[in-house]
Amino acid sequence: MSGPILEVRDLHTQFYTDDGVVQAVNGVSFDLHEGESLGIVGESGCGKSMTALSIMGLVPEPGRVTGGQIRLRGQDLLRLRPEDMREVRGRDVAMIFQDPLSSLNPVLRNGFQIEEAMLAHKELPRRQALERAVGLLRKVRVPAPEARARDYPFQLSGGMRQRTMIAMGLANDPSVLIADEPTTALDVTVQAQILELLRDLNRELNTAIIMITHNLGVVAGLCSRVLVMYAGQIVEEGPVDEIFEHPQHPYTWALLRSVPRIDALRHDRLRSIEGLPPDLISPPSGCRFHPRCPFRIDRCFREEPPLERIAEGRLAACWVTMERAYAEMGAGQLVDVRPGAGSGVHGLQEERVG
Amino acid sequence: MKGSLLYIGQRTLLIAFTALAVSSIVFIGIHRLPGDAFVSERLRPSQQQALLHQYGLDRPLLVQYRDFMTNLVLHGDLGQSVANRGVRITPLVLREATVSAEIGAAALIFTIGLGLLFGVAGAIRQNSWVDYALSATSVVGFSMPNFVIATFLLLVFGIWLQNLTGGGFFYEIGWDGAYGNPAEIIVPAFALGFPYASFVARLTRASMLEVIRQDYIRTARAKGLAEQVVIVRHALRNALIPVVTILGPLVIGIVTGSVVIENIFGIPGLGKEFVQSILNRDYNIVIGVFTGYAALIGLANLTVDLIYPLIDPRIRY
Amino acid sequence: MATQQATVDQLIAAPVARAQVGLWTDAWRRLRRNRLALVSAAYLIALAATALVGIVYTPYPYAHQGVGLPYQGPSAAHLLGTDQAGRDILSRMIIGAQISLIVGLATQTVVVVVGVPLGLVAGYFKGWIDTALSFVISVFYGIPDILVAMILIVIIGKPGLGTIIVAIAATRWMDMARLTRGQTLSLREREFIEASRATGGRSTKILFGHLLPNALGPIIVQATLGIPAAILFEAFLSFLGLGVPPPTPSWGSMAADGIHAMRISPHIVLAPAIGLSITLMAFNFLGDGLRDALDPRQKR
Repeated sequence: MSGPILEVRDLHTQFYTDDGVVQAVNGVSFDLHEGESLGIVGESGCGKSMTALSIMGLVPEPGRVTGGQIRLRGQDLLRLRPEDMREVRGRDVAMIFQDPLSSLNPVLRNGFQIEEAMLAHKELPRRQALERAVGLLRKVRVPAPEARARDYPFQLSGGMRQRTMIAMGLANDPSVLIADEPTTALDVTVQAQILELLRDLNRELNTAIIMITHNLGVVAGLCSRVLVMYAGQIVEEGPVDEIFEHPQHPYTWALLRSVPRIDALRHDRLRSIEGLPPDLISPPSGCRFHPRCPFRIDRCFREEPPLERIAEGRLAACWVTMERAYAEMGAGQLVDVRPGAGSGVHGLQEERVG
Repeated sequence: MKGSLLYIGQRTLLIAFTALAVSSIVFIGIHRLPGDAFVSERLRPSQQQALLHQYGLDRPLLVQYRDFMTNLVLHGDLGQSVANRGVRITPLVLREATVSAEIGAAALIFTIGLGLLFGVAGAIRQNSWVDYALSATSVVGFSMPNFVIATFLLLVFGIWLQNLTGGGFFYEIGWDGAYGNPAEIIVPAFALGFPYASFVARLTRASMLEVIRQDYIRTARAKGLAEQVVIVRHALRNALIPVVTILGPLVIGIVTGSVVIENIFGIPGLGKEFVQSILNRDYNIVIGVFTGYAALIGLANLTVDLIYPLIDPRIRY
Repeated sequence: MATQQATVDQLIAAPVARAQVGLWTDAWRRLRRNRLALVSAAYLIALAATALVGIVYTPYPYAHQGVGLPYQGPSAAHLLGTDQAGRDILSRMIIGAQISLIVGLATQTVVVVVGVPLGLVAGYFKGWIDTALSFVISVFYGIPDILVAMILIVIIGKPGLGTIIVAIAATRWMDMARLTRGQTLSLREREFIEASRATGGRSTKILFGHLLPNALGPIIVQATLGIPAAILFEAFLSFLGLGVPPPTPSWGSMAADGIHAMRISPHIVLAPAIGLSITLMAFNFLGDGLRDALDPRQKR
């Protein structure tokens, strides 16, 4: 793994709606190295998809990227003219989406949709493009690829369609492939196959993959590094195994705790994170997670914690961190995970309001 | 492929049956008033009686019907005109049906062409002044009766700009449908097609607006395709699907409008013949015209139905 | 604590008070904001008023030939000029307005009287009645309306206002029947109908006492929206010479007369042509406005 091929610095993306300005992406910074598989995890609305769309230059109206830099191999994509960005899109950075049935054009043949991806960036004779398309379908493990290339999307199963989308994404051998919840719409068994495919492709082609998902299991299966996002910001970052075993941000900790375990005792309650997702138009003061955090302290109400390095290759944005929560707040024995439950600020006046 | 041929065969048979059914209905409906057939000629009762006998119009209805049907099915013979004796109806109707079909097709090109253009433009520039202007034009288009549009066009092109059309609109159209001057088709075809263009425009616009929000449009952009390609190849092809569904009623509307347009511009098609034969009380021709229309509409609808699978591959026969 | 409780009460009370503003008031508010629809409505009211006045007064008798020199353009004596027979065009336009409005309203009335009961019966009892009605409807839809109308005119034989009304209504009843049928089909499954049936209500009573009042809304909208199409159709027929017989002036027949004289006196054809266009546009804008205003999917 050499120097970063993608550097995102202080990215801000906002939506100008009738009800106010929605801060969808609020100061996101991270690096992506060549051939790396990076996961971005968070609940719906946390800004992970919007970050990806910002990188691709596909932010829909009424949204706009309002600040920051996105450097792909040194070139700032945000400063590019639209025509130049169009060349980058689909060639150097590709993206595949969640629902392959609605993401493929129903009236065009599968093979053609893959050929299109190539022909948009390179002059190729049609026959050659078709051959390459069939080859790509074979690579993503679609059986009888010549026949499938002539078919239409509605004739394929969900798994086949997603493979077709992956083939489409890899058509021009991009440096980065962004996958936005590619398995969410699929059956569990097919999910596993697709993830395995992505893992193998990542190794074989050395294509960097950004996997966006709300499912921690997917991250565990595929990624080497993970970003945890909340309310438009990155709250934690680090290698996958370390984050899973020693999460430092209370949100990550709560997220991991909330995954139901197959070996849990019957009477164990399902643990969810109390409270509602944050209002992105007027977010909470201080740390955005504090209204739902079991370990908050006074400072959390007032000051927003920066994303800082807490260990080698580990970043977290928290004044407390789980290390302290375990040491000083008895996080290990905590049964009740209400906001403020472990921190001793339970009972503060501010807590009751709205 | 075989399935399609079978389908076409079935539909053609259906068209034939429908045409026969229509001519039967009209035949029976009209022949309840035999006396009127020669009213315009102010004959003496004895002369009228003689003519009625010559045409077999004094026989019982069922007998007349049997003869009529036999002639029609076995020989394709619709009889001869009552007002202009000696004129055989079948060749007349065939010739005029071809003329009407050509004008109708030209009108359809205007309707679909303008409609799609307006619709797509309005959708891409939603809520801009372009959108509102096109919408307003559309409303004007279908509010004005087509003879009003035709009249204005006649004023402009027939009188004020005589060079374009040579002042008159009389055609020399042979059976092979050759036109003297293609420019002569443009004005009547436009007058015929424009009012319906607004329906196509409205539907296209609404359909495009929906299609543009679809995920596969986002995918197309993510591939780095030029916006023009995205709009035409990806969006429009899907947006056309609901538009094809109104082609049937559209054809019927154009047939309706052609009756008036042909009369204004003096085009020797079915419409002109229709009005004339009703005013002349020439009922045999009326029956013939109706039959011609039934066949024409049936064929047009069949053509429309065959277009469907070309646009949407999910539809098969 | 007490103050906080008060605010909570206010919060709860407020949304309920707003929701009581009903569908019609909302619709009226939206309609009022649509300038085009309001202008159209004003024009139509003015037109109707003029037509009504025309019953007792027109500047000149509309059928009198020679009240002025023929082919005269607009002047002080004849505001819209005279036609090829020396008749005053303004007077004829006023009568023409009467004809158009009468045909429009009468036709739609017939359409309602025929289409609604058919739709109700077909939708409520379903079975063979429904199949039969659907078949007849599709037959009618398959034939161009001009052909249906003209054949009816031929069969009825006597030209006149009544003939036209019947002929036009015969081409428009299907939409009403289909609409009513659809409404009936969905309404019959509602609880209050079941309740009526359970308490042993007679079918006709249910049909007219319960179903019809609830379906009335869309029926009225549809009937109103059909008026311009009926007027347009009448103009078509009159233009072709199959409408009201002379000397009664319909805007359509006036236009037909005027085309022959277009070179020397374009005003003869322009007056009815413009009159028709504006009136139909007004109806269409108003109709669009009504439809938008009543659309429950509008946000405000």
